[in-house]
Amino acid sequence: MHIPDGYLGPYTFGFFYAVMIPIWYRAFKWLKKLRPQQVPLLGVLTAFAFLVMMYNMPVPGGTTAHIVGGTIIAVLIDPWAATVALTIVLLIQALFFGDGGITAYAANVFNMGVVLPFVGYYTYRFLNRKLGLSEVLSSGIGAYVGIVTAATVAGIELGIQPYIQPGYCPYKLSVSVPAMAIAHLVTAGPAAAVVTAAVVWYVKKSRPDLFEMRTIMKSRG
Amino acid sequence: MMDRLTKTLLVVVAALIILSPIGILLVWNYSDAWGEWDVSTVEHMVGQKLPGMEKLANAWNHAVLPDYNVPGWEDKLHASIGYIISAVVGVAVVLAVYYILVRLAAS
Repeated sequence: MHIPDGYLGPYTFGFFYAVMIPIWYRAFKWLKKLRPQQVPLLGVLTAFAFLVMMYNMPVPGGTTAHIVGGTIIAVLIDPWAATVALTIVLLIQALFFGDGGITAYAANVFNMGVVLPFVGYYTYRFLNRKLGLSEVLSSGIGAYVGIVTAATVAGIELGIQPYIQPGYCPYKLSVSVPAMAIAHLVTAGPAAAVVTAAVVWYVKKSRPDLFEMRTIMKSRG
Repeated sequence: MMDRLTKTLLVVVAALIILSPIGILLVWNYSDAWGEWDVSTVEHMVGQKLPGMEKLANAWNHAVLPDYNVPGWEDKLHASIGYIISAVVGVAVVLAVYYILVRLAAS
């Protein structure tokens, strides 16, 4: 899901920098409120997000996909925590490993660091609070919906490029959206669901207070 | 100060580093992820020149470990070691940047 340099033209990647600046500002403000005892947890989860993305999985048809870990961070801490984590991870991946472009950096953070954790988190919350599904099941489904939505959004960004300015990504929406969505529907989505549900199950067992604390905080507003 | 959950997750992080070569060996004969091919591959696939992509594709070519590998380590064994090195470097840099950002936010 890491869009490389050259696929998005200047109008498209410029648009995502403009979109991301206020979001980064908001995420940084959120980080100011992070409680000191949560600092190591978010640190280790940020490292976790970097590592799970190294686990490429085969997609039928010959390409690959990986999970991101954004919904795990959103459920265990906060969706803004996932934005902070993925902003760091995607920057290092681009600069040190050439994974994802510099020009496409803001678009990549938008997809994996904003769309993915927020869709994942609100899907989880809806299933858990409104439909009464367990936290484990809700988080697994949330992760699935989150990563498939993020991949679809990435497919839309790539697929509208030929209409905006030709000479960059040559694939139109009718090709890019199904390609990105299917890869994540069949491979990365199920993997994200299983990994997220397993982590949330373990955390619920070992640190139920993480969930109770938040429920109390939320109900107090 | 570190709670038990964070300690457990640290063990998971260590395990993910050691086992990371699975992430390339499983897909050894696969192409890149969809939409992550280099310019010449895309141009070959669609049978046309893409001048915009050619111009931007090398916007950044200072990656020290491109594709999570030590340049030139092509065989499975070397690529696996290169992958583990990349995992260690990546985690170290990610944590360094994270703690700098936390400091900045706290000040």
